[in-house]
Amino acid sequence: MMGRLRTGGYHTAMILVSLLWLGPIIWVVVLSTRTFDDIATNGVGSLPHSFTLDTYVQAWTDGGQLQALINSLLVTVPAVLLSLGLAAMTAFALSRFRIPGRRTILLLMLAGNLLPPQIVLIPVSKFSELTGLYDTLWALIAVQVGFGLGFYTFVLHGFMRDLPNEIQEAATIDGAGVGQIFTRVILPLTRPALAALGALSFTWIFNDLLWAITVIRTEGNMPVTPALLGLQGQFVSSWSVIAAGTVIAAVPTVAVFLGFQRHFISGLAIGAVK
Amino acid sequence: MSDFDPSRRRLLGLGLAGVGALSAGPLLSACASSAGTGGTPTTGGAITLQSNLTGAAKSGVEKLIADFNKLGKGTASLNTVATEIFRTQLPTYLSSANPPDLYTWYAGSVANAYSEKNLLLDVSEVWQGMGDYPQSLRTLATDATGKQVFVPMNNYWWGFFYRKSNFAKWGVQPPTNWAEFMTLCQTLKAKGIPPIGIGLGDTPWVASAWFDYLNIRINGAPFHRELLAGKQRFDDPKVKAVFTKWREALPYFDPKGKAYPFQEATTALLAGKTGMFLIGTFLADATAKDVVEDLDFFQFPIIDPAVPVAEEAPTDGFFASAKSANPAATKALLAYAASVEAQETYVANSSGIILPAHPKAKAADMPLVAKGKAMLAGAAELTQFFNRDSSDALQPTADTALTRFIDKPDQIDAILAEWQKNAEKVFKG
Repeated sequence: MMGRLRTGGYHTAMILVSLLWLGPIIWVVVLSTRTFDDIATNGVGSLPHSFTLDTYVQAWTDGGQLQALINSLLVTVPAVLLSLGLAAMTAFALSRFRIPGRRTILLLMLAGNLLPPQIVLIPVSKFSELTGLYDTLWALIAVQVGFGLGFYTFVLHGFMRDLPNEIQEAATIDGAGVGQIFTRVILPLTRPALAALGALSFTWIFNDLLWAITVIRTEGNMPVTPALLGLQGQFVSSWSVIAAGTVIAAVPTVAVFLGFQRHFISGLAIGAVK
Repeated sequence: MSDFDPSRRRLLGLGLAGVGALSAGPLLSACASSAGTGGTPTTGGAITLQSNLTGAAKSGVEKLIADFNKLGKGTASLNTVATEIFRTQLPTYLSSANPPDLYTWYAGSVANAYSEKNLLLDVSEVWQGMGDYPQSLRTLATDATGKQVFVPMNNYWWGFFYRKSNFAKWGVQPPTNWAEFMTLCQTLKAKGIPPIGIGLGDTPWVASAWFDYLNIRINGAPFHRELLAGKQRFDDPKVKAVFTKWREALPYFDPKGKAYPFQEATTALLAGKTGMFLIGTFLADATAKDVVEDLDFFQFPIIDPAVPVAEEAPTDGFFASAKSANPAATKALLAYAASVEAQETYVANSSGIILPAHPKAKAADMPLVAKGKAMLAGAAELTQFFNRDSSDALQPTADTALTRFIDKPDQIDAILAEWQKNAEKVFKG
């Protein structure tokens, strides 16, 4: 009897917590199916009095979301691969070898992460102009890799440092060089952490707005976040179209999270009990 | 100026305002200009118009560009950027080495501020062909050194908007002076309707309309301009008189108005939950199409008949970059944009209720538009709006002061002293 009550209570509480989390998302989805006139008459907060899917068509065509999503993926995928690849190599070198000044290098990387990014907006903007990368997706990839590198290295360093030394020694005895140890031994063992970081960095880079509008000014090069901002008018916004655009823009990140979910949770758990 | 994810945007705005302030500085623009080459102007070259007109407002400017390209005087392309991005990045665009040629933006002190930094193209040549335009617009387009830097496309007006059917239902008439306005407020309040709607949550700048109008009605437009230019003080007794008057109306404000943005305040007005709303014509954009017919407005009531009547008429248009690689085609586009034909097409294809800047161009055929146009034509002076007559940097000082006043009207003196202090910081830069 007690047990059943406890299970019941647990489920009720969990359903309530889930609703608390899902509430705003459900609200946005419902909002995205309302017409402009319905919202103008009844307000954003009221129950829906209409149903339409034209909002999605509008967001897709007026917002130029196809091109924006392509741009976003063109930036996000290379930026994630490049920054994680470079960070893994750096972390490998810093954690498994006695490199002089490795502590300083690591602290320097961490210190860079503590600075608010806003203070380097002007240098980044001017530097991208000097290098001729301004207003290209390359500039955005470079910035994202540069700013992600410190944090990813720091996390991967902590992970790799705790891998037992005997594995590396055994590989050395078997005749593996540094490159082989990295690709065949350390990288596979780091997979959970890489997957977790991969999902995280994908979301961060995909959702970034600040850097995108700092280094890009042409409509056709804008990723999806500024394109979403473009759906709001100067004074008046059609909330249902914005909600529809938001739902569309959320699909890639949700897909990545679902795909990496297993690794993501195990990656976090490994970090937690360390 | 709407309210999508405000907290994040405010942060972003802070950061980007920093970019703007610094990158417009002499050091960086100098290093940028060394890379920019003037080149010999040729007609028929390519130019870019950087535009903040998104959504429904976009088609007007799209049509304008398409029509210009048919003339063979140049090839223009349109680059649309979200308004909030445009607002924060405009200084960066203008000071970059290879800036876009043309920009949609504001006349008056905003354009003048960029012109002082030598970022804007001298378009006096274009104005030589604009003899039909009234002096008031020419003044707005002229910078401190006396050259024209701006070409106006359209303006709009502010007023107390209401639903005709609601006023009929409540049996009330639009007032013409302050005493009648107060009576109207009392009548509506007695019927249980909050008389004056407002929307200050996320859009605190809406309150500036009240300050602007009370100031130009009590102290007149010249004083208002001097105050906003830093030549008068906010702790002046004349400014205090504005707030004393405002306090009479304060009990009639919708108490919920502090919580929601202007767009929802519009919904409240249309639903009859508030009586009237001092707002710009862009309120029609937030109105369901079948309700627009029922909208009407009245002029901000006259307070002192001795003060020449001024109205708020924010003016939008184009200015060009001083570093444009193709000034000839840029000026050709501006000259075309100033024509009757171009302005009529532009206004007809844009969203919302706007008036063409050219006095001979026809506006939309609606009684409401005719009434608004007549009101502006009858005004002795035109102002724009707080931020457009001063700067985007001064606007937050007004937002702080006015929001505090609405909360604590008995602290006027302290609020004005603080406003003056904050404004001095902005003027000293």
